[in-house]
Amino acid sequence: MSHIFASGKTFILPILLLVFISCVKDHSLEITPYTQGSIIISYSHKVKGETLKFDTLRYSTSTGNRYQVSDLQYFTSRISLHSLKGKWHDIKMDDGIHYTDARDSYSCSWWVKDLLPPESFDSVAFIFGLDALQNTTGRFPDPPERDMFWPDILGGGYHSMKMNLKWQNDTMPQSMPFMFHLGTGQVYASGIVNPDSIIGYVPNSFRISLPIGLDLTAGGYHQVILEMNVDRWFDGQNAFEFARYPSGMMQNQEAMFRAIRNGKKVFTVKITN
Amino acid sequence: MKREDSIFSSPGFRYVAFLLLFSITILILTSSCTKKTEPAAPFRATPYTIQIPLHFPQELNIPADNPMTVEGIALGRFLFYDGRLSGRPGPDSLMSCATCHIQAHSFVCGIDHPDFTGGHPHGLTGIQTSHFMLPMINLVWTNHGYLWNGLVSADNPQPALRNIEDVVRLVIELPSEICGDTSRTKAMIGQIKGYPELFYKAFGSSTVTEKNIARAIAQFVRTLISADSKFDRYLLGKIQLSNSELNGYVLFMTEQGGDCFHCHGGDGNPLFTTNLFYNNGKDSVFTDPFDRFSITGSAADLGAYKAPTLRNLVFTAPYMHDGRFKTIDEVLDFYNAGLVWSPSISPLMHHIATGGVRLTPSQKADLKAFLLTFTDSTFITNPAFSRPSAMPDE
Repeated sequence: MSHIFASGKTFILPILLLVFISCVKDHSLEITPYTQGSIIISYSHKVKGETLKFDTLRYSTSTGNRYQVSDLQYFTSRISLHSLKGKWHDIKMDDGIHYTDARDSYSCSWWVKDLLPPESFDSVAFIFGLDALQNTTGRFPDPPERDMFWPDILGGGYHSMKMNLKWQNDTMPQSMPFMFHLGTGQVYASGIVNPDSIIGYVPNSFRISLPIGLDLTAGGYHQVILEMNVDRWFDGQNAFEFARYPSGMMQNQEAMFRAIRNGKKVFTVKITN
Repeated sequence: MKREDSIFSSPGFRYVAFLLLFSITILILTSSCTKKTEPAAPFRATPYTIQIPLHFPQELNIPADNPMTVEGIALGRFLFYDGRLSGRPGPDSLMSCATCHIQAHSFVCGIDHPDFTGGHPHGLTGIQTSHFMLPMINLVWTNHGYLWNGLVSADNPQPALRNIEDVVRLVIELPSEICGDTSRTKAMIGQIKGYPELFYKAFGSSTVTEKNIARAIAQFVRTLISADSKFDRYLLGKIQLSNSELNGYVLFMTEQGGDCFHCHGGDGNPLFTTNLFYNNGKDSVFTDPFDRFSITGSAADLGAYKAPTLRNLVFTAPYMHDGRFKTIDEVLDFYNAGLVWSPSISPLMHHIATGGVRLTPSQKADLKAFLLTFTDSTFITNPAFSRPSAMPDE
């Protein structure tokens, strides 16, 4: 019988090996040239260099209007990084769409869990608002994105941005609301603003590209901070005068066009490790 | 004893040792890699799945510790309608949720209620509620807080003020409502024939607890879904609206029209409310200690209240948190020309400069016609929401 134990030793070793290999995590999938979850896209909001403060009439435009911001919500989409090797890497997570509510810190930080190559990137680009192909009614059934819906009769889809303001100038006894809302514009026959006379729509989302110096390394984390300089919406190449649009912007393509021209210079970007 | 003669070196011991070692190895192998066997199956009620209407939100507010079950909903329906929930047996001391929440009025008491003058309910003690009532429609999709000021909300630091279950507990205890003693309520319900069995079927214990009373009623309330109004059917392409209703639709959905949609939803939000809080320009001085400001402490929320759903508007008069408007026409007149400026007025009230949206009489008529397309008569007659034909002891 002694040979049984002796042969048993050679039998037990494979069994223990089996125990080991059957229970350990399979790391083979992690052997890849790509790095996952290595960037966090953060959204910050400034007014003339200082962090945006809500509900206080402390800011002023170049045209002499004082204003306060009560709500700031917007979409960015088709976010992509451009590598020095000449390739664009589109963010695939969440279809490349991100909703930001400046009051909600959770929504101001987007941990992108895409696989990205450990390369050097020289620019980041995105669409402000939803890309025209993505801007379809019903895409977001749930809040908070749902509450950005843009009426079908005005073109459908979603607001690019809702910035709810109050403003006042020296001739006004009190501040007045202003809804700085961007989305699909309408073309009205003979200039009559009546939904029955709409003859066409204008997407109004626009692309922004910003230079960066980002060297992604395997295992490293980098933060891409997209900084919206809120004051530039009003003080860009087209000074925005609130009094000019007493009926709001949603049905005024000229107002939205003016805002968009400023909007292309609203963002700056920073990289932190 | 010589070493080679020891019992450890005997062939028999080696054989036993090998078997033992082999068995342990197999045991480790199987126990380390397989799911542990569950003990005997626990109590399990019949799961109930809410059928989400095609155009409705997908995220439901159902807490993990109170999953919907057929038995829980059935129990909740009994309790919702059983006046003995007050814990008092006398015929003048009965009070349940349904005393005020009346199905025919989309679960508000109604402006013509014989006991609640003008539609303002009071509790058993005669103390009136802080505010008038909000309709109980589609609350399973509420995600920004319950009640006019959002006191009961998922982000409330107090765990006892976070969901419908907590509203039920408040209602049972508040002097302005049932003014109950939970011990007395538990004892009362527990001694009624049939209830212990229903509690067992719903929650696996025949003991009546405050927690399970609240859980059952909350489950029932979550089934109160309205999704069959004329406008719902229009959105689904089943019917067409009249010209007047379509004109009203345009006014409802446009910034230069009535601009109702920013707070009350529309084709992109069939709940007809964002469930958010706004100062809609009713007052310039604020004395209500229970407005949104009382919750957030932010001056921007002075005089702000939840935007109520507009579903079944025709059944839910009076309107606003203080019931100041008796008819839909009064509400329309207010938004048309009665807005009052204050520092905390919502920035969405951008027509404040002209005192309102300034619609013509014809436009107001069209807008009202459209508002009436939110009427869902099936909701107020649905037998699943009504008083059971017999209570558990009947």
